[in-house]
Amino acid sequence: MADEDEDMPQLSGGGAGDIDLSDETQDFRFLSTLSITGTDLPKIPKRGEKDFEPHATARQTDTLAASRAAMHTALSIPRIHAPKNHMVAIYEPSSNMASVEKAKSQHFQTIGRFANGKEWLLPEETLFMLERGSLDVRWPVKEGEEGLGVPMSLQGAYAAFIGMEGGVGGRLTLEMYNVYAGLKRAGYIVLRTGTWHDAKVELNLSKVGHAKEKAQERYWGLGLFGELWKRLFRLQRSDSLERFKLGPLVTPGLYRNWTDIYKLLEVIPRHDRTAPPKFMLPDDISNPFRITFDVYKPVSQFRKSKPGPPDYRIAVINARETAVPTMVELNDLLATTPYDLPNPSTQMYQKLKYGSRNIILAVVDNGIPSYIRIADAPFEDEKLYERIGRGRGGKRGGFRGRGRGRGRGR
Amino acid sequence: MADISVPEPFPISQIANRFLIFDVDAVTYARREHNITGVLVGTIAHMSQQNVFLGIPLELMPEEARLLVEQGHAYIADDVDVHNKGFLEMNREDRLAFLQAMDKQGMDAALNNQKKAEERSEKALQRKGLARKVQENAARRASEALESSSAATPTDAEADTSLFDSPPRSASPAISQAPNGLDPFFVTPTTSYPRLPTPPISPTTPLPHVPRTYPLFAYLHSKGYFMTPGLRFGCNYTVYPGDPLRFHSHFLATGLDWDEEFDLLDIVGGGRLGTGVKKAYMIGGADTSTNDVSDKGSGRRTEDGVRAFSIEWAGL
Repeated sequence: MADEDEDMPQLSGGGAGDIDLSDETQDFRFLSTLSITGTDLPKIPKRGEKDFEPHATARQTDTLAASRAAMHTALSIPRIHAPKNHMVAIYEPSSNMASVEKAKSQHFQTIGRFANGKEWLLPEETLFMLERGSLDVRWPVKEGEEGLGVPMSLQGAYAAFIGMEGGVGGRLTLEMYNVYAGLKRAGYIVLRTGTWHDAKVELNLSKVGHAKEKAQERYWGLGLFGELWKRLFRLQRSDSLERFKLGPLVTPGLYRNWTDIYKLLEVIPRHDRTAPPKFMLPDDISNPFRITFDVYKPVSQFRKSKPGPPDYRIAVINARETAVPTMVELNDLLATTPYDLPNPSTQMYQKLKYGSRNIILAVVDNGIPSYIRIADAPFEDEKLYERIGRGRGGKRGGFRGRGRGRGRGR
Repeated sequence: MADISVPEPFPISQIANRFLIFDVDAVTYARREHNITGVLVGTIAHMSQQNVFLGIPLELMPEEARLLVEQGHAYIADDVDVHNKGFLEMNREDRLAFLQAMDKQGMDAALNNQKKAEERSEKALQRKGLARKVQENAARRASEALESSSAATPTDAEADTSLFDSPPRSASPAISQAPNGLDPFFVTPTTSYPRLPTPPISPTTPLPHVPRTYPLFAYLHSKGYFMTPGLRFGCNYTVYPGDPLRFHSHFLATGLDWDEEFDLLDIVGGGRLGTGVKKAYMIGGADTSTNDVSDKGSGRRTEDGVRAFSIEWAGL
């Protein structure tokens, strides 16, 4: 039987059978069993046993009370900084950022920007550092007064970095922060895409990964022989328009393989994915469909000054204010992602799923993000007729007993 | 846990048009007394590398905030305004007083930490069978305590030699004469309210703006159900028969207008998905056609006139 809430797409592309525990409220009593030291990976407990419905037994009531007590305890843990690793940041109201004079933490390999002798942190960076208990943020003192300001509470930090963001023209929303913090907790390196303030977004004309290799291959690999073949092929197709009008699609002649015939049957014109993309909508800063974050897998040689192309691009969408993107909006969104082909040696379905351009939408419904990957699937590059001779379609795609396989639960 | 409560109405922080609760007691209280769970969106400080258990703040759906306000359990406080006035324009005396109070808290934390460290090391030594060493340690500390503070009475020192009863610390050590030369820790408080005056209840604050699914939400809530956001199951709310900590959800609910036409495929899709995850798909809405005009604003509750239908695969 299918489990309650399987099939959440996971960024890491983990096994299909993985259950995403964060899908549902988990029993906080398990939190105490998690390892607290950061050295070994915390062991996430198996999903808690839950009941079907309340039946007013003392046992059930006690268990619930215990769960709630555990939750209350976990939520009450204070944020305390020992003097040894105490790090102070000063809030800067004019830019809604914070500055750190002595950055003594590993985190600064992936956050902050150095300017005027200080590390400057963006609102989401400051808020996350405060929230995870690694940073003591102080309100600024008035001009002419000396000494440190008073510490900013978690509540104050949300009020400042989310609430006062609009006042200084910032664009960080609570949804964006939810996604940022969630990815950071999962261990990813997260950077803002671009400046966020430009109405104009750039077309992405770059090629990455296997697309780059392919481009080079085409240039060097074919040689004279390939060029000859190409010409022959072009000869055949040049008069295609005439052919469609007048005669049989497959003109009488000598054919040595099926491929040639299939090629003659390709009647429907197709979109050329290798051509540079184009925008279809005018620039608009209020367009919600733009890349919000560049996400990198954690690697030791990461340099924030030279991050390189990101592993994932994420656009944060508020589920309660935004509808499903239109075709045009999707085109414009994908036009800001690079041409990125799948590994040619993988299975066909994998390749189709990977697409030639891709984007991850983080759709946030009231604090709960769902990650949806949208890819431009290059069906015309995966020709079914070229797979002949590799067995009938492979065993993986076969029928799995229609309809009845999953049963009815309950 | 039944003893944790907060005075009503309690404040809900409105930040950039989102509704958040920062007070742990209010979170527990709203959950227990009002069946309002919200969504925990914050990071738990010492468990900051996982996404399964999240912490303060609690984000409320606008529906939840509205319901709490309508029923008089809570009120909306503009946090941005309060913090702007309270902290960016704080005067010097207040600041110094606040800093001193935080210093005291930090000293308590430091003492607490030291005590725990001692207990840990003693336990570790004991496990290794070095009980004698433990006693030596304790005795040494006791004599040190005697030397360092003339105020300490001999009885205190004797108490120290017993293993786990650490000597009673003076209730509030002055910062200047910290015992053992401890430096105070620094504390990041969770809420701002002990320092700031509790924000006033402003009658002009508009009610939270809610989507058209609100009548269904209010109706199910009045029947004792718990609701959480339902996007990941393709619906408006996942509906639980009790606290989601303890129970699985029963329904995937979608709110509709009474006369709204919708696609039959939605029922198929919702019913199919719901059945697949052992839940029932539910649609519902408020009948606004009857006695709407006469009753408006005359105590008619939002959940009145709501009907809900559940849809399941019959599996014949």
